[in-house]
Amino acid sequence: MKPKRTVLRLLIAVSVMALVAAGCGGDDDDGDTTPAAPATTAAAPSDDGGDSGGDTPAETTEAADDTAESSETPTTEAPEAPMEPTELVIAVTTEPSTLDAQVVNDRAARVVTGNLFESLIFRDRNAQLAPGLALSWGPIDETTWEFTLREGVMFHDGSPFNAQSAAFSVNRMVAEDFETQRGSYIRGILSAEAVGDYTIRVNTDGPDAILPLQMAQVPMVPDGAGDEMNDSPIGTGPYMFAGWDRGQSITAELFDGYWGEGGSIDRFVVRVVPDKQTALAALQNDEVGLVLDILPEQVDAVPQAKNVPATEFSYIAFNTYVPEMSDPNVRVAMNLAVDKELLAATLYGGYARPNNAQHLTPESLGFNDDVGPFPFDPDRARALLAEAGYPDGFQVTMNVPNGRYLRAEETAQLVAQQLEDIGLDVEIREWEWNEYRSAGRIPGTEEGALDLKYGWNSNEWFDSARVASHVTCEGRSSKICDELVTEMFEIGATVVDQNERDQAYQRAWARLHENPHAIYLLQQDLIYGMAENLVWEPRLDDEYYVAEMSLS
Amino acid sequence: MLTGRFPTGGPERSSAGNLGLLILRRLRDGVIILALVVAVIFVLTNLVGDPALVYAPVDATDEEVERLARAFGLDRPFPQRFVEYFAKVFTGDFGDSNWQKRPALEAVLDVLPNTIMLTLAGIAGAAVFGIAGGIMAGARPGSVFDRVNNFTSVTAMSVPNFWLGLLLIVVFAVGLGLFPTSGQRGWSSIVLPAATLAIVHGGRIFQLVRSATVEEMSKPYVLVARSKGFPRRTVLRRHVLRNTGLTTATTAGWEYVRMWGGAVFAIEWVFAWPGIGPLMINAAHRQDFFVLQAAVIIAGAFVVVSNLLVDLMYRAIDNRVRAS
Repeated sequence: MKPKRTVLRLLIAVSVMALVAAGCGGDDDDGDTTPAAPATTAAAPSDDGGDSGGDTPAETTEAADDTAESSETPTTEAPEAPMEPTELVIAVTTEPSTLDAQVVNDRAARVVTGNLFESLIFRDRNAQLAPGLALSWGPIDETTWEFTLREGVMFHDGSPFNAQSAAFSVNRMVAEDFETQRGSYIRGILSAEAVGDYTIRVNTDGPDAILPLQMAQVPMVPDGAGDEMNDSPIGTGPYMFAGWDRGQSITAELFDGYWGEGGSIDRFVVRVVPDKQTALAALQNDEVGLVLDILPEQVDAVPQAKNVPATEFSYIAFNTYVPEMSDPNVRVAMNLAVDKELLAATLYGGYARPNNAQHLTPESLGFNDDVGPFPFDPDRARALLAEAGYPDGFQVTMNVPNGRYLRAEETAQLVAQQLEDIGLDVEIREWEWNEYRSAGRIPGTEEGALDLKYGWNSNEWFDSARVASHVTCEGRSSKICDELVTEMFEIGATVVDQNERDQAYQRAWARLHENPHAIYLLQQDLIYGMAENLVWEPRLDDEYYVAEMSLS
Repeated sequence: MLTGRFPTGGPERSSAGNLGLLILRRLRDGVIILALVVAVIFVLTNLVGDPALVYAPVDATDEEVERLARAFGLDRPFPQRFVEYFAKVFTGDFGDSNWQKRPALEAVLDVLPNTIMLTLAGIAGAAVFGIAGGIMAGARPGSVFDRVNNFTSVTAMSVPNFWLGLLLIVVFAVGLGLFPTSGQRGWSSIVLPAATLAIVHGGRIFQLVRSATVEEMSKPYVLVARSKGFPRRTVLRRHVLRNTGLTTATTAGWEYVRMWGGAVFAIEWVFAWPGIGPLMINAAHRQDFFVLQAAVIIAGAFVVVSNLLVDLMYRAIDNRVRAS
C-alpha cells in the first residue's frame, strides 16, 4: 500500500514540475536571447490605392549554383547523391484567402501568386514597365490596344501560353459575375480577342492611356481556367504551386519548364505568423528567412534588416467643402503647421521622410521636381490663418482608423497638437476600419462627410493616375474640385503620349501645392527582417520575387 | 471494522430515462442559445460596414461595389437573407465564403481539429497543475510546495495570456532553443502553446481546488478521522478528494469552456497555431460573414457540449446532484 502511494505522489509531483517548467527535451541549438521589442499591433501599411499584383521580372539576379553548403567537399563515390534542396521561408501576417491571382490583391497572397503567375507586362527593378509575356504593345486606334506575345512559354500544367489563353485570361477577369479585388486594373476594359497565334487585341470603352499599367496587373491563366485556381493555381511563373497546409503555410517549387532564367532557391514556403513579435522570434530562431515588414524598433533585433523607400504615403485629406477649409490659404497654413521631420524621427525611427506633397516617388510618371514638402513654419501658418479671417482658429474633427496603419493614431495625436499650436481646436475621432471606409466615401458636400481624414496611399502604379480618385472633381474619394487639376488628370487618363501625360500631371501637382487636397505627411520605408544568409535587394514596388533572391 | 462512513453520498441510481431526458433538454437549450448567437452575429455583422465595400479596391466606383454586392447576394433585403441563412444552417449549409470561394464550413473544419487538439492538451496540463497541485498544496497549507505553487498560480492569473505566450517563446524557443517558436510542425510545436494555456487556466483551477481542499481539511469529520488514527493521506484520498470533486470538476469544466470562449484564440494567434482563432479574426476583419458565423456556431457548439459533459460529470461524481 505504502509504496504505491509514494509512487503516485511522485508521479504527480514530477508532472507538476514538468508543467511548471514548461516541458523538456528537444534539440539543442542555442539562439541568443534578444529582448523583445515592445509589442505593437501594426497593420500592413498598404492601402488607399489597393495593392499591386503579381508578375515576375524579366531579369533575375545572377544566382550561381551555390545551393548546398559550400564547405561540402565533392564525394567521388556517390556523384548522384542529391543535394539538400534549398528552401526559403517567408513569414506573412495573414493567410491568403485564395491563390487565384486574378481574384486576390492582398499582400500575403501576392507573395505567393507573384511567383506563380506572370502578366503581359512586367515592372523592372526601377519600377519601369518592361516586356513580360508580351514583347511589344501599342494602341491601334482610340479604343484598341494590340499586344504581341512571347513564344515558347508554358504553363505549369504543360499547356502552352498563346493568344487564346491570353485573351481568355483578360475575358475571365472582366466577366460581369467575376468577383475580383483587382477591379482597378480592369476598369474600362471591355474584352480581348486573339487575332493570331501570338497576337491579341484588348478593347476599351474609351481612350485608355493607362492600359499598359493595368495589363501589368492582369495575371495570365490557362485557357478554360475556373474555380480550381483558388487552391491549385497554375501560371507561367518560375515557381509552381506545391501544397497548401490550411491555416499554416503554402509551398511552391521551382518550375523546370520556365521560359526565363528562373531562380536559385529550390523551394519557398510562405508561412502565416499573425503576431509580429512571434515572427521576429521565429527569425531569430532561424525558422524563417524573411519577415515582411518589421517595425522600426525591431531593426536592431534581427540578423539582417533592409529597408526601401516604399510607395506608401500618409496624409490627412481635407474636406474642402467645409466653409472654414474652402480657402486654399487655410489648407496651406495647416500644411505649414506640421513638423514632418519630427514625425519621421520620433514615430518611425527615421524610417520615413517628408512626402514631396505629391503621393509619388521620384521615378513615377508626373513627378514634379519643383514641388517639395511644405516647410515647418508655424509663424507663417498663424499669419495665413489670420489673413484668411480665422485669427482664433476654428473647430475641426480629425478622423483616424484604429489599428489599420502603422502609428496612425499616434501621428494623428501629434498632428492635432501641432494644429492646436496655430490656434485650431482639433477633436480626434478613432474609427473601426470597416465603418471608416463607409464614412470616408460620403461626398464632401453631404451630411456626415469627414472634415479631416487620415489616409495612406500606396502608389504601386508609379503613375499619377493612381491618385485621380483623390484629387479630381468627380473622384470617388475626392473632397476637392479644382478645374485645372481635373483637366490635367483627364489628359493623363486619355492621352497616350507619355511625355504629354507627364507634363499634364506636373502642372496638376504644382497647382495642388497652392490648393492642397491634404496635409501631406510622410513617405514610409518598408523594412524587412532577413536571415543572415539571404541575399536580396528589396524592390520599390512591394513585390517579392523569390527568383531574385538567393542563399549564401 | 471501522471504515470511513462519512458524507460521500449513497449509491442510488437514477433511471436511464431521466438521464436521456436531461441530455435532450440540455441539447435543446444549447440549440436555442446557438440560434440566438447566430441571430445576434448576423444582425451585428450586417450593421457594421459593407462586405462588398471591404472586398472592393479602395478606389472602387459605386457601380463596382454594387456589382460585388450583387455577386455576394447582398442586394436582397436583409430579412430575406436572414431567413434564408437560418433555413440553410439547419440543413448544414453554412453558406460560401466570399473571400475563400469555398463553403464556410469547409474552411472551419479544415482547422478545427487543431484547435481541439490544443484545447485538450491545454486542459490536460491545466488539470495536472491545478488539480493535483491544488490538492497537494491544500493538504499542507503553508508548506514550501504550497507557497511556491500559490505564487506561480497567482502570477499566472495576473498576466495576460498572450504576454505569457510571448515570454515562453522568448525563453524556451529563442533563448534555450528547446521548441519551435510557432506554427505546427511536429509534436514539439504544441508544447509551448499548451503550456501557456495550462499555466493560465491551471492557475485558476489551482486556486479553487486548493481553497476547497483547505476548507474541507478543516471540517470536523476530518478531525474525527484523524483522531481515529487515519493517516492524512488516507483521509485525503478517501474523503476530501471526493468531497472536493464537485469543485474540481466545475472549475476544470469551466476553464475548458473559457478556452473556447476566446482564450485559445489569442494563444493560437501568438503561436501561429493553425486553428479557428486566426480564421475568425481574419474573417471579422474581412467581413467574411459566413466563415465568421460558421466558426462562432461551431465554437458555441463546443461550449454547449462541454457544459453538458461537465453536468454529466457532476452526476457521476456526486450523487446529490442526481437527486435534484
